[in-house]
Amino acid sequence: MKSARSQSGSIVPPNGRPAKPNGKVSRGADRETGGATGGAAKKKNGSGAVASRFYGNPLPGVKPEELSGSLIVVEGTDGSGRSTQISLLTEWLESEGFAVQTMGLRRSFLVGEDIDGLLAENAVTRMTLALMYSTDFFDQLERRILPALRSGLIVLADRYIFTLIARAAVRGIGRDYLHGIYEMALRPDLTFWLNVRPEVAFDREFKKAQTISYWESGRDMSLSNDLFQSFIRYQSMIKREFEYLSKRHSFLELDGEASVSEVNRELRKRIASHLGIRGTQYKPSHALQHLWR
Amino acid sequence: MASVIPDVGVDEHSTPARVPEAKRPYPGALVVVEGIDGSGKSTQLYLLKRWLEIGGYRIHFTEWNSSPLVKSATRRGKQRRLLTPTTFSLLHAADFADRCERQILPLLHGGYLVLADRYVYTAFARDAARGCAPRWLRNLYSFAPVPDITFYFRAPLDVAVNRIVAGRPKLKYYEAGMDLGISLDRAESFRIFQERILNNYDQMVETDHFVLMDGTVRVNKLQKLMRGLLGERIDLPHFAPKKK
Repeated sequence: MKSARSQSGSIVPPNGRPAKPNGKVSRGADRETGGATGGAAKKKNGSGAVASRFYGNPLPGVKPEELSGSLIVVEGTDGSGRSTQISLLTEWLESEGFAVQTMGLRRSFLVGEDIDGLLAENAVTRMTLALMYSTDFFDQLERRILPALRSGLIVLADRYIFTLIARAAVRGIGRDYLHGIYEMALRPDLTFWLNVRPEVAFDREFKKAQTISYWESGRDMSLSNDLFQSFIRYQSMIKREFEYLSKRHSFLELDGEASVSEVNRELRKRIASHLGIRGTQYKPSHALQHLWR
Repeated sequence: MASVIPDVGVDEHSTPARVPEAKRPYPGALVVVEGIDGSGKSTQLYLLKRWLEIGGYRIHFTEWNSSPLVKSATRRGKQRRLLTPTTFSLLHAADFADRCERQILPLLHGGYLVLADRYVYTAFARDAARGCAPRWLRNLYSFAPVPDITFYFRAPLDVAVNRIVAGRPKLKYYEAGMDLGISLDRAESFRIFQERILNNYDQMVETDHFVLMDGTVRVNKLQKLMRGLLGERIDLPHFAPKKK
């Protein structure tokens, strides 16, 4: 991986509150590019060099110049409002006349269900799980995302390699190792990070499911027998990884604790600027009204 | 654990490198056989295993592509021809990781002599023949413990290919490298694919300290040679049954 930043010493301790929307993003959105194609080539990475569409070597057989669509990633822990925002953005983009393809974890035809099975048992170890997730990721990338981008679609990714890297890294797998595996991944045009405090994520998740999931509380890591403590400690570790990744990969950080409509407005503003959409007016349809709170 | 699965970079030659015996973080030892299909490696490792089993040694035998956790995914991917060079490689790495973390490493730490029929070099040779970047592959498998001895069975391409083609009614799709679109004829595709793999193996003889074994030598003679080399390189009494 090419990054000017050294691995060590660049982890920033967690700050109390995530950044406010409106302005406190880590870099400006891309200038208007007059279409979906121009954004990536002009983007810069952390070292200031002009970045290509891939982190390292492209996948075998892929011609980057054929990829005319845009890849927009929304990252954030469970309870950050990620999926809600993806639903709303899909509707907004479609109403603006853009065709949308989505991707997310464990959605590959190849191994999606197999990972569900592995998670349900406790036999699986950290490296196997990390590699099954990378299989799941590349299957979706090669079979669904690249064809969509070749056809000029907007791909909305409900999580991306960053969650996979963070989860594996907190379990002691080397960051360089993980970046090495994902060097053939496509570099997103925009990466949003919906940042929420672990306590807030806990409240939201508990309200939604009336319980806290084994993996989201990092119980395989034996952090605490108290589920709340385990969840908070695990999510804080993930958050620290994200703070590091955010710098390395120029995330656009948003306050995931703001209201759905506020976060959505900010997302629309950034995406509109990237895609060259003039107006950003949007009201959810009746079907999605329940998400608008 | 940390010493076996280091925070490695993606430097091509970072791993696997030779680990001096004194620095190995476990009391066990790892013996590997490699080579193309039909080179005679599995037969020879089977005979070595029988010899050690009969002698009562603490051994464990493990095979490439055999993890029960990953099996169904691999089978589906192959049957429905869903695999690309990248996902083929990652799925086999997941399979290897499962065996590594749940069998090979615990057994090496427990003082076993672990015998592996194919190891990471199979992935290096085969997946690179499919078009994966060698540097990427080296990184992918950098968590693997370095073998104490790697026997590389080498037979001329024709000999090896004829052994396989003669004994098998039909070559499987991925086995024959049909996904590469080299040839519509399975036997011909297989031969070209095996040739690429053979060339990749040959390039690792020096860098990865392979012990070259002539796959055309008579079976029992070659086995005798293998047992001798094993005894020279591995402290076999260490794995022998305890005398009362």
